[in-house]
Amino acid sequence: MFDKTRSGRIDVYGFSALMRFIQQWKNLFQQYDRDQSGSISFNELQQGGPQFSQLLLARYAQRSSNPSIQLDRFIQICMQLQSTTDAFREKDTGLVGNVRLSYEDFLTMVVTRMM
Amino acid sequence: MNFSKHYPMDQCITWTKISCLQPAFLLHIKSFHTGIEDGTWTPFNPATVRSILGMFDRENKGGVNFNEFTGVWKYISDWQNVFRTYDRDNSGMIDKNELKQALTGFGYRLSDQFYDILIRKFDRQGRGQVAFDDFIQCCVVLQRLTDVFRRYDTDQDGWIQVSYEQYLSMVFSIV
Repeated sequence: MFDKTRSGRIDVYGFSALMRFIQQWKNLFQQYDRDQSGSISFNELQQGGPQFSQLLLARYAQRSSNPSIQLDRFIQICMQLQSTTDAFREKDTGLVGNVRLSYEDFLTMVVTRMM
Repeated sequence: MNFSKHYPMDQCITWTKISCLQPAFLLHIKSFHTGIEDGTWTPFNPATVRSILGMFDRENKGGVNFNEFTGVWKYISDWQNVFRTYDRDNSGMIDKNELKQALTGFGYRLSDQFYDILIRKFDRQGRGQVAFDDFIQCCVVLQRLTDVFRRYDTDQDGWIQVSYEQYLSMVFSIV
């Protein structure tokens, strides 16, 4: 996302944008993590937030007796969400919310943005 | 990431333990290779380890027990055979042409530019070629993407029409 030249590296501007991005998500994470345990439990999830993200987060919580999501995983999910949306937007030039994709279009869209 | 505080360690081999076994994996793999021994040890691609464990972890424990591990071992051995088949120059790496032959052999019909994308994305060593663990990762990812695409391509014409939300679910079912 921050490697604009697709060179596999980021420069100082990309890096500071990345740091700001992480800080924003960290703030969001801290809003959910009410008991400040360092991870978001299912109970904390239910306290609020759009349904779709809850579903997403529910899927990615670590499986255990008390499923929870830690900051790094949370950021990964949010970043994946962002880059997936960017990919779709790039194809949806008419902004109709619908796109027609060939097999290789789809493969390319996903593979080039995989982390 | 340390999973050990979430899962009982006693009879379960978690992926962090597998990571410690990596030299053993590498030794095992190297013992199959007749190619170049340059003595550089790179840890097995963690995403590959995770995917493979995910395939064999029947009860979603976050790790595999001994029985499941024997499945893992066989799975990796099968991949070694495939790799060796297509590593025609026995270099221990698969270059773009060898990758083309391998994937075409599996039934894929992909453009030349797409192979450049694959190499760029999966080659973790930055040598323009794909090592064994990255080769597995590449094939596994391609397979998953193809399965998802097929589900939406109901008339099997190689094209799909999807909404934003459908596209999101497609991608998130794989990553």
